Amino acid sequence: MSLRQSMAGLHTWAGLLVSWLLFTILFAGSLACFDKELTRWMQPSLHPPAGQPLSADQVRDWLHTRAPDAHAWWMRPPGPREPWWRAGWEPDGGEFQAFQLHAVTGEPLPKSVGGDFFFTLHYDLHAGLNGMYVVAAAAILMLVALISGVIIHRRIFQDFFTLRPQATRQRAWLDAHNVLGVLGLPFHLLMAYTGLAIFVITYMQAGIRVAYQGDAVRFDTEVQRSWEREDIGQPAPPPVSLDGLIVQAQRTWGDGGTAGWISVHHPADAAAVVSIRRRDDSRITDDQRTVSFDAASGALLHVQPPYDPGYRTFAWMTGLHMAQYGGQWVRGLYLLLGLAGCLMLVSGVQLWLAKREARGGLGLGLVRGLNAAVLGGLPLASLALLWANRLLPSGLPGREHWEVRAFLFTWTASIVWAALPLRRDRRTRDQLLLGALLALGLPLLSVVRAPQGHLGVSLARGDWALAGVDLVLLATGAVCALLSRRLGRVQAPAPTPPQRLAEESA
Amino acid sequence: MLLVFGLNYLALLACCLGMARHHRALLGQPPSPQRVALLRGAAALGGLCALGVCIHQQGGEVGTVLWGCLLMLSGILLVALLAWRPRWALPLAVGAPLAGGAIALLGAS
Repeated sequence: MSLRQSMAGLHTWAGLLVSWLLFTILFAGSLACFDKELTRWMQPSLHPPAGQPLSADQVRDWLHTRAPDAHAWWMRPPGPREPWWRAGWEPDGGEFQAFQLHAVTGEPLPKSVGGDFFFTLHYDLHAGLNGMYVVAAAAILMLVALISGVIIHRRIFQDFFTLRPQATRQRAWLDAHNVLGVLGLPFHLLMAYTGLAIFVITYMQAGIRVAYQGDAVRFDTEVQRSWEREDIGQPAPPPVSLDGLIVQAQRTWGDGGTAGWISVHHPADAAAVVSIRRRDDSRITDDQRTVSFDAASGALLHVQPPYDPGYRTFAWMTGLHMAQYGGQWVRGLYLLLGLAGCLMLVSGVQLWLAKREARGGLGLGLVRGLNAAVLGGLPLASLALLWANRLLPSGLPGREHWEVRAFLFTWTASIVWAALPLRRDRRTRDQLLLGALLALGLPLLSVVRAPQGHLGVSLARGDWALAGVDLVLLATGAVCALLSRRLGRVQAPAPTPPQRLAEESA
Repeated sequence: MLLVFGLNYLALLACCLGMARHHRALLGQPPSPQRVALLRGAAALGGLCALGVCIHQQGGEVGTVLWGCLLMLSGILLVALLAWRPRWALPLAVGAPLAGGAIALLGAS
């Protein structure tokens, strides 16, 4: 067997087996580029422009009344993309308690999973450490598929611009798969590689086990050159103003940097430390240079030097993956390239199907079913989550869990539907139609449920971050409706058996 | 950004026309060897100009990444146009850089 032949088999199976998983990861990751905008969209009380925000001292008072004995308090001031305070505490040995506070009133906002849902879905599938390992395995197989794909695709330059949608089905999908794979290759390689690199300490522990006896925290502290102070078990004197410390931190940085995460460690202790991290989205590497103060006297305790060079490289790769730099342009382009990656996966499985339909074979039904369940089901479930967000009353206890349930219920229903032999010949058309209804309905629903943030109001205000979400929904709905109509037209005149037509669309 | 996108698109279109098959499809006959050399030169020049503008606007680090993203996306658009709307492929190569340049001159990019 020649190298190309063996690589072709590897490419087919390494690609196919994780296609649906990779679709989930890429789709959710693309949406997560705009996680903060989605979070704001999902919180109608954040839609009207905010006034003078709460001071850090007021947020600290809020934390003090709720968790005076916490191990640590955390807060993050409002920024241009996030016009709300984040605040939370870490109880001793307990789970982190996180809240969003209205920037002006300081009221905790109704619980909602927000855009974080998609962010978490894309790196651990909401399954914690095990999910991270599954995603890592998918990323490794993606790298394998990308590299073997380059080896088998011998006419990369001749076929660089070739796409023939009118050719036979197999040819057309092969063209599409090649074009999207080759043109997007730098992006795909970069995302798969840096995505793996982010959790390298979790995946490859040998170094930490040998050099640090498995103490990853000490490793982080050393390479980030951060600093901590132990508590001494004595009650704390009254603290100095946090806002004053923020001003002092800004003076220390001296480059116009603003405060990001602010933490108060062991706030009830005489050795309480206030640490202020710098927020920097102008460069790919955000080194979060932290300044630490004594909470009671305000004395400057430590200024974090720039990262260790090795860690700076790591932070650069992380930054490249996370797209927090460079403003909305970078995020918009990442979103489009991520969706192009989704299309590459779709064309890949379609090509697999087209090749095998002619000669028949095992697994055709399974692949078709998985296509309907994942490629159609996941976007529908995501839309259902947004619907649930708009429909659920804001005072509902456990509201965020109901949002997730709507997502899971819709996805499960899609899977069941894909498994049942119901209207199989027009499954994709039905899914597209449903997608169009759900997507076009959301901006309308917002007119009733989010009166200060629906499309008319946000456009009139020039609030593009908010209007963008609705505009993308409208565009998605329009594309779904068009495709569904087109599929209907293609199918209507052709008297071929419906069994074949199902795959035209799947 | 439109200027960078347009220049990238122009570069890729020139690159594409440098191949006999696409040249025939868009312009009716295969290109002469001089024309292929000219088109490849134009492709390199367009891509470099795009990179230069992007770095000038966004700085070296972010600018290079943005340029790469825009190059990939302009390629996808070009391929889609060639497949479904070949008549639009040539006018866009003139229109996008001109419109982008006008916007950049007006200071609104």
